Amino acid sequence: MNESTRRELALPISGMSCASCVAHVEGALRGLPSVSEVVVNLGTNKASLKYDPAVVTLADMRKAVDDVGYGVATAELTLEVRGMTCSSCVSHVEGALLGLEGVSAAVVNLDAATARVTYVPGVVTPRRMRKAVSDVGYEAQERAGGADALDRERQARGDEIRRQGRNLLIAGGAGLVIMIGTFYDMLGPLKAFVPVWLSYKWVIGLMTTPIVFGPGRQFFTNSWRGLKHGVTDMNLLYATGIGAAYGIAVINTLFPKAGFGGEGATFFESAALLTAFIILGRWLEALTRGRTSEAIRKLMKLQPKIARVVRSGVEEEIPADEVEIGDLILVRPGEGVPVDGQVKDGYSAVDESMLTGESLPVEKRAGDTVIGGTLNKTGAFRFEATRVGKDTALAQIIRLVEDAQASKAPIQKLADWVAGHFILGVHVLAVVVFVFWFFFGYRTFFDPNSAFILSPYRLGEIGVFGFSLLLSVTVLVISCPCAVGLATPSAMMAGTGKAAEYGVLFKGAEAIENASKLQVIMFDKTGTLTKGEPSVTDVVVAPGVDESTLMALAGAAEKNSEHPLGEAIVRGAEARGVALRETEAFNSIPGHGVEARVGGREVLLGNRKLMTERQVDFSSLMTDAERLEGEGKTVMFIAADHAPAGLIAVADTLKESSAEAIRRLHKMGFETVMITGDNRRTAEAIARQVGIDRVLAEVLPQDKASEVKQLQALGKKVAMVGDGVNDAPALAQSNVGMAIGSGTDVAKETGDVILIKDDLRDVIVALEVARATMRKVKQNLFWAFIYNTLGIPLAAGLLYPFLALVISPEVAGLMMAISSLTVTLNTLLLKGFRPSVRRGDGMRAESAGPQRMQPAGQPAGD
Amino acid sequence: MDENQEREVARRSAYLYLPISLGAAGLFLLAANLAGGYPVVARIGGTVWVWLLSTIVTMPVITARVKRGLVR
Repeated sequence: MNESTRRELALPISGMSCASCVAHVEGALRGLPSVSEVVVNLGTNKASLKYDPAVVTLADMRKAVDDVGYGVATAELTLEVRGMTCSSCVSHVEGALLGLEGVSAAVVNLDAATARVTYVPGVVTPRRMRKAVSDVGYEAQERAGGADALDRERQARGDEIRRQGRNLLIAGGAGLVIMIGTFYDMLGPLKAFVPVWLSYKWVIGLMTTPIVFGPGRQFFTNSWRGLKHGVTDMNLLYATGIGAAYGIAVINTLFPKAGFGGEGATFFESAALLTAFIILGRWLEALTRGRTSEAIRKLMKLQPKIARVVRSGVEEEIPADEVEIGDLILVRPGEGVPVDGQVKDGYSAVDESMLTGESLPVEKRAGDTVIGGTLNKTGAFRFEATRVGKDTALAQIIRLVEDAQASKAPIQKLADWVAGHFILGVHVLAVVVFVFWFFFGYRTFFDPNSAFILSPYRLGEIGVFGFSLLLSVTVLVISCPCAVGLATPSAMMAGTGKAAEYGVLFKGAEAIENASKLQVIMFDKTGTLTKGEPSVTDVVVAPGVDESTLMALAGAAEKNSEHPLGEAIVRGAEARGVALRETEAFNSIPGHGVEARVGGREVLLGNRKLMTERQVDFSSLMTDAERLEGEGKTVMFIAADHAPAGLIAVADTLKESSAEAIRRLHKMGFETVMITGDNRRTAEAIARQVGIDRVLAEVLPQDKASEVKQLQALGKKVAMVGDGVNDAPALAQSNVGMAIGSGTDVAKETGDVILIKDDLRDVIVALEVARATMRKVKQNLFWAFIYNTLGIPLAAGLLYPFLALVISPEVAGLMMAISSLTVTLNTLLLKGFRPSVRRGDGMRAESAGPQRMQPAGQPAGD
Repeated sequence: MDENQEREVARRSAYLYLPISLGAAGLFLLAANLAGGYPVVARIGGTVWVWLLSTIVTMPVITARVKRGLVR
């Protein structure tokens, strides 16, 4: 199959409620020709896949998903279309819209000059629709106030909450009345307030029927649609449970002598309350599930809807997604920055914390870049748009977080597989339980005085069939693996969202899982531990020369140099307030240094070899030179008029965060390694000062990956922290590649984790979030499985021979609702997580001492 | 997979899972008769329940296999 013709797609799926739903949707999509790499995520309700549009269409995919009982969510949009004059215009516009992949319906109204479009979000965008319309000669614009992605998502969630809420109101309200009627005899003095007819079996039956066929109908229809296509899901467990309880109750009411237990074994209240509890679980799930994806919603909310564009000197407000590259945009105090760009004039401080996690507002003046979605605090400025639409940093970050949330961790694949196969296993178990109690258990252990757990209701005259069926149904209901399906994706969504809040982007759930298992953190040196920018650290002057004269001569000589060391000297001179004169003559001596004439003086600046060749005697300064070189610094010799003038030592500087990050990593139990192309002496000098455990020096860039491999061969899980460009092979080889300081152009970065800021402490944030997320996943799986592990034997009657107690189907339904709720609430606790570096537990203060000077790096090596 | 193919899958699957589930139910009925002492309603009810559960177990497994076979 030609890879170039294949497309990626993220289909929004509706109607999924458990891990088995995930398996069914995946199975349905995988069954289509050319469709591959299908990953369905319950948390985001999305199916990611690759397909060949020449072989399979979106309509085929929708049908496949519909056929197994789910749906592909669609959204509606109204476009205002200008330029239509007749009915043929209508068909042109409709044709253009319907020709777009992802548009399922388009109805154009000529009188109203609108086009109502039904489409699949994520497959086609309003921008593409507008373009399609403009391509056929008309102008289209989204109707103001039209639903955006955020509104649609909220609306879909709201619809589900309302639907299940309505069902709950009916089932719960009627269920309560049925409960009162069922236990009428036990109401004591309260009987006076309850009409006796409420306890009549046929009245209870009449009230149960609309519950089973109203709110409960969804379980029957969904399970039947699945069965027809060879799939089973949770709905089937509920349908058989509710159906059996209701069926037996009807028989026992209409034909009490039929031998199914008679009037003493009508389970109307079981059918009614079971339906109510299952719907309660679904409603609570719908209510809380959306909260785990709050990060995405927060990010989406950041996008301002309006941009104030200056065109032909006139200010006009336009929708932010219509801003084009090159537009000049005005931002006033308190307004959001609509797209990415470069400041042209004005001055302000911009709050970028929402995207980078940086707590302090960042000053912006002409030439600085601004990021769409950030908040202007004080002044006003104008900027030119450089990235718009899907290319903005915010759009890239949202896409990355969405992709991560749509991916599956290995642990989740296992959980989904277990849950997917669980339902069939449970039905087999239900047969076994039924057969056991029918042929052996009832005869041996049944006690007419036995009761339901948490109920004064006695089993009484129930017959062998009724009793066996009761236990069999309870097993079906209690085994529902809905919480298992939620356990991992909900935690992963919360974890990736939490990390994004701090400017740490995980590219997938697997990265989180891998990051939680790391043992060794390997750092690239230049640009990662150090700033990657050499600066002047020491100045030693010859007798009779003062420091500013030396810096003035050296700075002027290097003014035209493009060498990193020369640039460091110029910056050093400027930092000391020295005015740099123009050179009268300049000559670069490759591999040695430079010579120049400055203010009539002949200046020679370079290494020791240059001075030896030019016969300048530096013996008086040689002790200082050797001392500085011994510290791993690069020493530049300066001579003026063939006499030694002094020495300037240059070194790369450590980032402020490096030492603290390494100290915290050690505290967390990690082994730290530094890898660099620098010579060993320089590398070890840095490692000593930053506290790194182990140094791998003089490693060529192409050999870094094999060093990672060697560590992995020792059985260690290694993370590589690098700049994401030079270190790409090592990042790819490591178990987790962390690209640091990428800024907000996150799409181009390699690595599994992207640290937006240039702050090594974000490595700690990434590791702590990963550990907290995996801890949450394990807790969730524990809670999900513990209900089933304890519940199934109880439901199967394991304790009945000893305690004469059984679980009623409705209590089983309640337990399953609680298990889903426990998992979701446990995940929500992750919202309160704060990484240690953001809690200010003292270590930051420790590291806030004076910045130490470090040896200069060799850019070629790193 | 078009509608005709789907009907074909459903038909072929039913030829397989129905005999299996009916066989399981028949075995249950036979065992209940042989064991003796069970009222007719219990025997019939049990047979229906075993048939229903057996169908639920075999139907998706066999349908999925038949579908895979047909796609290949």
